[in-house]
Order: sequence, then structure tokens, then C-alpha cells
Amino acid sequence: MKRPSVLEDPKRELWLAWYATIVFYNIYTIVFFILTRTQPPGKPWYGPEAVVGWFDGRHDGLLIGFALIFALGGLSATSIALITYSIRRMSVSRAFAYSYLILYAVSAVPGFLFICVVMTVGAMRPDRSPATQQWLYDLGFLSFSGTMGVFLVGSLIWMLAILLDKNGVFPKWFGYLNLCNALTEVVVAPSWIFHRGAFAWNGVIAWWIDVVVFGAYTGVFIYLLRSLILREDFGTGPLPDRPPSGPARVAEVAAS
Amino acid sequence: MGRVDGERIIYWALPAVAVVWLAAFFLFPGFTPPMSPRSSPAQVAAFYRDHTAQVRYSMILFNWFCVALIPLLMLIVERMRDMAHRTPILRYCVIGVSGAAPIAFLTATIFWMCAAFRPDRAPELTQLYNDLAWITFTCGVPFLVALCLFLAVAIGLDQQDRPVFARWVATFNVVIAVALIPAAFAGLALSGPFAWNGFLSFWVKNVAIASWIVVMAVVVGRAMDRDHAGAEAAL
Amino acid sequence: MTISETALPATGAGSTRRVPGQPDMWFFVLFETLLFTAYLGVYLFNRTQHPVLFLHAQAQLHLWIGAVNTIILLTSSWVIARCVEEARAGRFRSALVKAYLTAACGVAFMGFKVSEWVVEIHAGNTFTSNDFFSYYYFLTAIHFIHLLIGFVFLGVLVYQLRSPQRRSQIMVETCATYWHTLDYLWILIFALLYVVR
Repeated sequence: MKRPSVLEDPKRELWLAWYATIVFYNIYTIVFFILTRTQPPGKPWYGPEAVVGWFDGRHDGLLIGFALIFALGGLSATSIALITYSIRRMSVSRAFAYSYLILYAVSAVPGFLFICVVMTVGAMRPDRSPATQQWLYDLGFLSFSGTMGVFLVGSLIWMLAILLDKNGVFPKWFGYLNLCNALTEVVVAPSWIFHRGAFAWNGVIAWWIDVVVFGAYTGVFIYLLRSLILREDFGTGPLPDRPPSGPARVAEVAAS
Repeated sequence: MGRVDGERIIYWALPAVAVVWLAAFFLFPGFTPPMSPRSSPAQVAAFYRDHTAQVRYSMILFNWFCVALIPLLMLIVERMRDMAHRTPILRYCVIGVSGAAPIAFLTATIFWMCAAFRPDRAPELTQLYNDLAWITFTCGVPFLVALCLFLAVAIGLDQQDRPVFARWVATFNVVIAVALIPAAFAGLALSGPFAWNGFLSFWVKNVAIASWIVVMAVVVGRAMDRDHAGAEAAL
Repeated sequence: MTISETALPATGAGSTRRVPGQPDMWFFVLFETLLFTAYLGVYLFNRTQHPVLFLHAQAQLHLWIGAVNTIILLTSSWVIARCVEEARAGRFRSALVKAYLTAACGVAFMGFKVSEWVVEIHAGNTFTSNDFFSYYYFLTAIHFIHLLIGFVFLGVLVYQLRSPQRRSQIMVETCATYWHTLDYLWILIFALLYVVR
């Protein structure tokens, strides 16, 4: 049985969404970490003059990088759609899937829209007063790192769905990893309070450790979504195991 | 085919919404002609002082109804149920961006109204609100770009004898997506075609959005006619 | 067969397990332990940067409350271990009682912890007073949240034990694993925040 070509493959829409997710996260990482250098975040203790210097050193990167996000940021919906689909595939109520969809659809606003707008406005007029530039700087970083609710509740919804699921869509340890991700949103809360130290928005605990957890979580779920697509049988019962590949597949084909 | 009760009401509310939007658009003195990013703080402050009432009332209208596009988007999502897709994934993509797109517009109206709230505040602060409003409004296109691309893909994958939307609708959506992309770069220029009052970022973008609404409304209307005829025949 | 005489099978027929409870839970507790170790590492590093400040602030803590809490959690760990044994032997009513006792210990811990926070705040030591106290409140609060999660797992445990159809030794052991980890993490916190000077 030959593999269906990409045009006939019934899973093509899932694969399109999955590859779009990979593209989105790569663009996001490159823009935030390399082009704009807004991650790791600027220092919260910077006075107004230091903030002016921060904007000055990143002028072109901020404007070009965030323009790319303004153009392509909507691709974030593909990973949300895939995850919603994964929850729908589970044995739990569809309320879980729709809750997740709404929560994460809204998350795009603090997730990138705010910081993109605010930093673009900051960079476009370098002659703004230092106090105003610091105002924008605070708003950008706090709204980006400090908006916790959507991701907290969203992760808990997905966790609960996975732990209750009888169709085996995701392994239970990934349900627990969602709890770890939800807890990073709790750990980041002190960033609204501290200007320096481990709990500031750039601190070892509130940023570095949290980002490691979030990065691992994201990498894992992208991999697990791929696994889901490979196993998908478009049914409603327990999800089958991965089809065999390599020598096992050849033997199966030879036997059929 | 799903339940269709009430869809006609949503649909025919659209022209009313369109009238409100157009009225608000022309009432807002900052759109005709679009304000220049190069205005000094004093000029921006003067603008809000001289046109306070118009700014406020037009933005109140926009704030009320900027999310009124969501029902149209959901009518499209309902038509997508009949597409020859194996999974609901593209519908979820469309729903996902439909949530965020109007929020960008809503936030912009908030900034414009804040700018007009205290006309005698420091001009730099009024300019700040004005900048935030314009950048949010102009650059807040990612969700619309993605929406058009998702629809184009959905239509392209809808390979059946009677596709829900004709092929040209997919092409149209791709064209609109491309037309919206230059506006994302409005932060890079204070004058010229890319600036928020420029040809690409203002005129092309807003005409593109308006055309999309009109064309998709007509196309959805026709698809709805088919669906409703089918639903009635089944009764 | 009466309920008390029916012991639960450990897993499917003939299979041997390498860990008690779900292996997934072990992944979770190991991950959380790693995280806590990282947080404590950051605390210790900061301590070396400001030894005098930390020593002075630490003296404001009431060691006896920490010790009482440690004893409470250790007791609760012992109780839940007994609960697992009872469930394995099929004595579910006894196991259920022990599960409730564990919860009671947890509530007692919470009571002492909150009182301690109140006492410290009245003494003027808040989250933002100084570096030591920000770590103190952060570590104890994040542990407190894990304790609340522990109550959820205890709830699952009780729910499982109450109905003959649902009883699963794996679930009992899974929840107990989490509770033991709570205890272990508290001991680390107690040792490093309260005792080591």
C-alpha cells in the first residue's frame, strides 16, 4: 500500500498546521531573542536615562523585528488549533477544548501584541522624554512577562483533560508537565513587585528558570503533537499506537 | 449541515453595522485625511483640542461595534463545516484569530479616547496616546493576515463537486493578506507610503479590509442561501 | 467475599513494576524536586553574597514553628505510608481513615504556616522587607501551593478508596508518592531556611 501523496493525505491539514507551528515558534524565537533582543528582558532597575540608551541600542532591531511579528504573528493560532483538536480527541467533554481555544486565542494580546505595539511606539520616537520611554519600557515588559492568567488557567485545563482522558491521547506525565508550566505562571508573579533580584522580571527565578521550563514544555508538546498526528485514526475511541516504521513497516507491507 | 435558525438575522444586521462603521470612520477627523506621524506634540494636542467631540463620539461608536465583525466570522466558520475537510482544525484556526483581531481594534479605540479625554494635558502625553492608538490600529494586522491565509487554505483543501466557496475566493483572500502586510511595517517610517498615514499602511490596508468584508459577506450570503434551502428541503 | 478480605491486585496479571504508583508521577516529582533544588541553589548563592544580612534576618524566624511543621509532615508521611499498606492488604476502611488523618495533618501544617506568616508580618518582616524574607516567603508559599495540590491528590485517593469499583492500588501509591515528595521538599526548606546558619 503506497503512502498517499501529500495532496490526498487525509492528515494534510494537520501537517500543515504542525509545520506552521514550527515556523511560528522559530520566527518568534529569532525575533525576540536575536532581532529585537527583548529576551532576555531589559533590566527593571534601569533609570530613565538607561532606558533611553536601551531603546537607542535596539532601534532598528525593535522596529524590524516586531514588524515581522505584526505580519506573521497570527500563525500562533495553528498550535492552539492543534491542541484544541487534541483535546477534542480525548474522552472528556468538549468544554475543555473550547475553553482552551478561547483562552489561548485571547493570549495573543498579552502574548505579543502589547509588547510589539509598546516597543514600536517607544523606538519610533527616540526624542520622547526619558520618563515616557521608561513608562513604555515598563508596560512592554510587565505586560509580556507578567500576564499570567490565560496561560495558568489554560495549562490547567489541558492538564485536567489529559489526566482524565481515557483515550490515551497524551501520556500522563505530560499532563503533569502542564502543571509545572502552570506553576511557572505563579512563580513569575513577584515580577510585578521587585525591581531587582531573583524575582524581578529578568531574575534568575522569575525569568531564567521559568523560561527553561517553558522552553522544555513547548518542545515537548510540539513533539507530542507530531506523535498524535502520526497515530491519528479520526475515530473517537482510544488512540492507536504509532504505526511501525523502518524494517517493521517493510515486513508489514511484505506480509499484506 | 448544522442548525441555521437565526443566521439570517445576524447576516442582515451586517449592513447596519457597516453603516455605523462608515459613519464613525468619516466622523473621526483623524482618518480624513489621516493624521501625520510627523506632527509635533503641540500639533497633536491642538488636534485633540479642536476636535474633541468628534473624536470621542466616533470612537465610542467604534468601541461599541468594532467586535461586530465576529458574528460574520462565525457565519463563515459554520459554512466551513460543509467543506471536505477531515478535521475541524482550520475552523479552530479561524476561531482562534477571530478572538484576537477585534481586540486590536478595540485597544486602538481606547487609546484614541484617552487621548481626547484631557485635551489640556501635557502635549507629549497626548502624542503618546495618539502614537499608541495609531500603531495598534495600523500594525494590528497579524490576525487578519492569518485569517485570510487560513481561509485560502481551507478553500483550497475543499475538494468536492460543489465546494462551499468558489476557488477565486481563495485567491482573493491571498491578495488581501498580501495587501495587509505592508501595514505591519508602519512603525519604521514617519512619512512615505509605509507610514501610518501613507498609501500602503492606511489606504491599501483599509480598502483591503473593507473589500474583504463586502466580498465575504456576499459570498457567505450565497453559501447561506444554499444551506438554508437544504435545511428547509430536509424538513 | 467481604470487602475487607479482598486485597487489590497490584497491576495486570504477571507484570512487575519498577516503581510504586504511576511512573508518570515519578517524572513529575523528580521534575519538581529539580526545580526546588534550583530555587534553593539560587537562595544559597544569594546567601553567600550577603551572609550578615541573611544571618540577621534568619534569627527573626521562629525555629520552633518550623520544627513543629516538620514533625507534622513527617507524621503525615508515616500515616499515608500505613494507608498504602492497608489498601494493599484490602483493609479499605482503615486505609480511608488514614487518608483522612493525613489530610488533617496537612490542615494542621497549613494552620501553623499561616500563623507563622501572620506573626512575621506583624513583626514587620514582609515579602519586600529584605532579600532573605523574599526568599522565605517565596519558598514557603510555593511549597504551600504544592501542599494545596497535595490535597487534590488526597481527594483523588479518597475518591478511589470509597468505591469498590474504583479502587486502584496504583492510584493510591501515586498519590502517596506525591505526598512523600511534599514532605521531602519541606525538609529541604526547613533545613536551609531555618536551621543552617
